[in-house]
Amino acid sequence: MSLAFDLLLIAALLWSAGRALTTPDLFRAVVLFIVFGLLMALAWARLGAPDIALAEAAIGAGLTGALLLDALGHLRSSIRQKSGLIAPSAAHRSEGTGNNTPTYFLNGLVIALSTVLGLALVWALLELPEPAVRLPELVAAEMAASGVAHPVTAVLLNFRGYDTLLEVAVLWLALLGVLTVARARMPGPPRLTRSSLKVPRLLARVLAPLTLLVAGYLLWAGAHQPGGAFQAGAVLAAAAVLLNLAGLLPGGATPQWVLRVGLGFGLLVFLAVAAAVMGQGTLLQYPPAWAGALIMLIETGLTLSIGLTLAGLYLALSGATRK
Amino acid sequence: MLDPLPWLILLPLLWATLAFVRGPGRGGRLAMAGLLLQLALAGGLAGQVAGEGARVYAVGGWGAPLGIDLAVDGLSAVMLLLAQAVALPLAVYARAYYAAHDDGARYFWPLTGTLLAAMNALFLAADVFNLYVTLELLGLAAVGLVASSGGAGPVTAALRYLLATLLGSGAYLFGVALLYGAYGSVSLTELAPLLGADAPLAVFLAAALMLLGLMLKTALFPFHFWLPPAHGGAPAPVSALLSALVVKASFYLILRLWLDLFAPLTSVAAAQFLGLLGAAAILWGSLMALAQTRLKMLVAYSTVAQIGYLFLLFPLATHTGALAASGALQGGVMQALSHGLAKAAMFTAAGTVILSLGRDDIARLGGVSSRLPLTLFTFALAGVTLLGLPPSGGFTAKWLLMSSALHSGQWGWVAVMILGGLLATAYVFKVLRQAFLPVEAGTKFKPVPRMLEWPAFLLALASLLLGLRAGEVLSLLGAG
Repeated sequence: MSLAFDLLLIAALLWSAGRALTTPDLFRAVVLFIVFGLLMALAWARLGAPDIALAEAAIGAGLTGALLLDALGHLRSSIRQKSGLIAPSAAHRSEGTGNNTPTYFLNGLVIALSTVLGLALVWALLELPEPAVRLPELVAAEMAASGVAHPVTAVLLNFRGYDTLLEVAVLWLALLGVLTVARARMPGPPRLTRSSLKVPRLLARVLAPLTLLVAGYLLWAGAHQPGGAFQAGAVLAAAAVLLNLAGLLPGGATPQWVLRVGLGFGLLVFLAVAAAVMGQGTLLQYPPAWAGALIMLIETGLTLSIGLTLAGLYLALSGATRK
Repeated sequence: MLDPLPWLILLPLLWATLAFVRGPGRGGRLAMAGLLLQLALAGGLAGQVAGEGARVYAVGGWGAPLGIDLAVDGLSAVMLLLAQAVALPLAVYARAYYAAHDDGARYFWPLTGTLLAAMNALFLAADVFNLYVTLELLGLAAVGLVASSGGAGPVTAALRYLLATLLGSGAYLFGVALLYGAYGSVSLTELAPLLGADAPLAVFLAAALMLLGLMLKTALFPFHFWLPPAHGGAPAPVSALLSALVVKASFYLILRLWLDLFAPLTSVAAAQFLGLLGAAAILWGSLMALAQTRLKMLVAYSTVAQIGYLFLLFPLATHTGALAASGALQGGVMQALSHGLAKAAMFTAAGTVILSLGRDDIARLGGVSSRLPLTLFTFALAGVTLLGLPPSGGFTAKWLLMSSALHSGQWGWVAVMILGGLLATAYVFKVLRQAFLPVEAGTKFKPVPRMLEWPAFLLALASLLLGLRAGEVLSLLGAG
């Protein structure tokens, strides 16, 4: 039974990936990409990695999908402005199927290289040796000293907390990059009329507080089961995107100072803890008795900042305030 | 006593975040204070390495393979010193530049701080996954800086750079996954003894993917396509940071992996191949530099050429005997240092010319010699290092590389270096000749603040005097 499910899942993954790459219609490609992300989340769940499944569904499919759809909206309205005659989907089509020789040559080259790499990978994976170092056992042996009960959180926030510190900076940097270019943004997609906003508004008003509750739960749950700051932040960001779509939260390319403090808060808390514990030991060496509390403190700060950052990626680019 | 090692990473990250919180365009003074401290910390760390040798720092107290180790040795200490020594004068220059020319200053300081934190973290990393995170941080900061002046040209160049750098780090990450799959660890110290010539196919594949990804990031010929528009189109302080430092970071990683982790897998053929790409980069980059009509594009193509010299060290250092190998390593590192200082000077000098003249056509530089003598002198001094004339650091670098080539009997590389030097002479003099022509009618030179000219001059002077202090640099490199 489960084998049949897995085979079906693999087939669906390959189909959605292939279709997303080959379809000439950009809108369909984005929808297929979102489908691919959701299927991928299922695959992670089947592989016994619920933390990655959560992140894939929320960020890989959800937020990235929202960003791609938004970008598509901008693309369509800018094409419409430039040439009133060409219908946007036709314009995409003509761009997508360039039938000049260099494109064909390049596509062929990429396909050939990918095939060789793919076959080499399959071969390499088939003769992979038994790993000499067994990290899962080392993690299990040190769990008691980590301050949390969930191994993924122990690795992310304690054993390899330094990686996470830098990754938080990566996320923040992505937003900085967006803010840098967001200044020269194009006008947003056509605004929805008041009457068409009625239902989304009602929905957003009901869902947003619930989403907040879910984010809080995920943050708290991270200490002993799948969850944690990244997932909680992604859920917070989803609430912000929802409110923006319903016209209840303005977007903007220049964050005011309260927002800037919120965006930097997680990183600053993390840096402060990293530096403060150096008085007793090395960078990020939590005293065992305090480890649980310090990790919760860092994760709380991170949830806020990650939520704002992920939401910011969308809001900064979502163009003019939709009212 | 305060340990400088972790602070070299925390401090730039801290001032970057604070500069962001303070708001767009703010934080220059904060950055300068931070950079001054960082230079002192890097100096302190170099002193420790020179005195006590290499050491390992276990973040979180766990130690590899469970935790992440940082490590410092002669090579990383030298690179850390270079990064801080170039960044401080560039920060002084950038403040004056953005005061005169407001374009793209909004997130310059947060991006630069993160860039330096990423670079310092990269030089100190001893874990292939942690290295990936630093590469990502470095690449994104650099892309943000390229895009910072807005406008279609820079944003297009930044996007192309983003795709190239993401492809590069993607290939690298692929390799990390394969290494983890084969050995169950990502720590360099754990992996090194496990890896032998009888390694499984996955490890050879990992090595190839990681090196290819890093070559793309280093813009080695023929992967240089993204560099000239990105480095040539960015604001001058950004061009200087990218050309002087960012490409050196991924080169450092290639060098480290080649000499340490993948040493049992290296072959003479692979090394010769890298050398050939380097030689092609020298010739192609120099010829393209000679063909440019814009000053900054000329300087950018010169970077493509100068990166080529770095890759000549691989055929000279692989299976050639201890004497030739150590000379090649020393020459390569000297080349990285002197090019870092000289290229920062050249780009900042070019930026000063653009601010004053309002354009950068090489054919219309007449009068620069009389109106901006210090800036032209800076450009010429930096040129001396690129040509490899004594007493510059470039001379020491090329001399070390050439004598290593002679020791290992590889005459061909000597010919490439001499030809590259001649072509460099041609493109440097192409600029100087125009600058000595009389002022074109109707040209107005805007006066420029001294804080633009002096930091550039200091960088050029440092690149020239580096040759006289080569002994100290090389003994630090040899420590541990």
